[in-house]
Amino acid sequence: MSRLNVILVVAVIAGAVVISSFGSSVMQKLQAGFLSAVSPFLKTGSAVQRQLGAMGEGLKTLDQLEDENQRLKTENTELRATNQILRDLEAENSKLRSALDYRKRSIFKLVPARIISRDASTWWNTVKINRGFEEGLEADQPVLTDVGLVGKTTTVAKNESIVLLISDESCKVAAKVEGSNERGILFGRRTGEGGAPAEMQLNFLSKKANLQPGQRVFTEGVSKGTSIGVFPSGIFLGTVKSFQARPLDGQAIVEPAVDLSSVEDVFVVVDGAK
Amino acid sequence: MKLTVGWLSLALAIFLALIVQEFIPALRFFHGARVFLAPMLFCYGALAMPFWAMLLMAIYTGFLIDLAYLNVPDGHVEIALGWSIVVFVFFGLFAHGLQPAFAGGRWWLHVLLSAIFTSAFLALQFVMICFRRQGIFFNETVAWRIAAPGLFAAVLAPLVHLTVVKLAPYVRGPTRLEPYRIDQP
Repeated sequence: MSRLNVILVVAVIAGAVVISSFGSSVMQKLQAGFLSAVSPFLKTGSAVQRQLGAMGEGLKTLDQLEDENQRLKTENTELRATNQILRDLEAENSKLRSALDYRKRSIFKLVPARIISRDASTWWNTVKINRGFEEGLEADQPVLTDVGLVGKTTTVAKNESIVLLISDESCKVAAKVEGSNERGILFGRRTGEGGAPAEMQLNFLSKKANLQPGQRVFTEGVSKGTSIGVFPSGIFLGTVKSFQARPLDGQAIVEPAVDLSSVEDVFVVVDGAK
Repeated sequence: MKLTVGWLSLALAIFLALIVQEFIPALRFFHGARVFLAPMLFCYGALAMPFWAMLLMAIYTGFLIDLAYLNVPDGHVEIALGWSIVVFVFFGLFAHGLQPAFAGGRWWLHVLLSAIFTSAFLALQFVMICFRRQGIFFNETVAWRIAAPGLFAAVLAPLVHLTVVKLAPYVRGPTRLEPYRIDQP
C-alpha cells in the first residue's frame, strides 16, 4: 500500500472517530434528516404492502361477510350500552368531584399514527410511524393502542418517528402488578432468551411476591426526569405468564398486552403524559 | 466517467437495499434473522474499484448504515455514529487486497467475502451492544441471526455479479466475465 493510501486510511478513520464523538442530540438530528430523506420511499412501500394485504383480505365469501356483519352489529349494541352506563358514571363522577373540589385530572392528547415499517434491524425492536415533530411529537413520548402500551418515541423527524418497542431490552418501564403491592421494572428479554420473542421480564419484585399467571401488569408512572418515568400511570402492559424467586429478587415473565408483531395503528401521547 | 457511473450505481443500490430491507420481514424459521444486503454490495465495490473510490464507498456505506440503525434509548446512543465507517474501511482494505484475484476471474471471492463481511458486521454490532448492556452472552438464536444473513448474502451475491456483467456494456464496461474491474478503460 502506497504512502498516500495509508494517509487516506488514517484520515478516514480519524474522521470516523470525530463523528463518533458527536453528542446524542446531533446524532439524532442527523438520523432525523435521514428519516425525512427516506420517508417517501417508506410511505410508498408501506402503502403497496397494505394494498397487497387488503387484496388478500378482500377475498371473502358471502358467508364470512354475513358473519362479520352480525358480529359487528352485536358489538355495536354492546358498545352503545356500555356508553350509556359510562355517561351515567361520568355525570356521577363530576358531581362527586365538584363536591370534593377535586383537582381536574389531566387529559391526554393523542395523535393517531400508522406504522410504516417494522423490525428493521437484527438487534433492536423498533418500528417507524408516519408522524413527526410537525404533529407535535417529541422524543420519549408514550405510544399505545386501545389495548395497551406499545413503546416510546426515540428519534423524531419532520413527519416520521422511530418507536422503541416495550419488547426491547433497552426500553424500561416502571410497572405495578394488579391485586398486589408489587412494583418493578419491566423490559424486553435478551435476544433468544426464553420462549416467544416479544416476552418481557418484570424484575426487582419481592422474592415472596408469588404472582399467579394471568395477573395484569400496568405502568406505574413515576416522576418526570427519570428514564423509566415517561409513561402515564395505569396503562395496561401485559399479563404475568410465570414467576420465579431469584436469590436477590423475584422475576415475572410477562406477555405483552398488544400483539407487537401485527399492530398497525397506534396513538402517541403528546400532552399531559407526565 | 465509467467509474463515476459505477460508483453512483452502487451507492444508489446500497441506499435502495437499506429501504427494501425495511419491508422484508424477519425470517422466523431462522430465529428472526433478517436479510442484510449492504455489506454484500459494498464488497463488490471494494473488489472492483480503485482504492480511493473504495474508501469513499466505505464512508458512504458505514454512515448510511449507522444512520439507519442508530438506537437512542433514554437519550443515550447505544452504538455511536461513525463506527461502521471504521469497520467498512477494514473490510474494504481486506477485499481490495484480493482485487487481483477477483480481476483474474475468481468471481466466487465476492460470494465468500459477502458472507464473511455480513456476518462479521452483525457479530461486531452484537458484541458492542452486549458491552453496552449486561455483558456478553451467546445462544442459538444469536448464532442464527449472525450466520443466516451471511448465507443470504452469499446466495444473492452471484445475482449482483451477473447484473453488473449484464449492465456493463451499457456503460461501456466489460462485455464478458473478464476483466471485472469497472475502472478499466
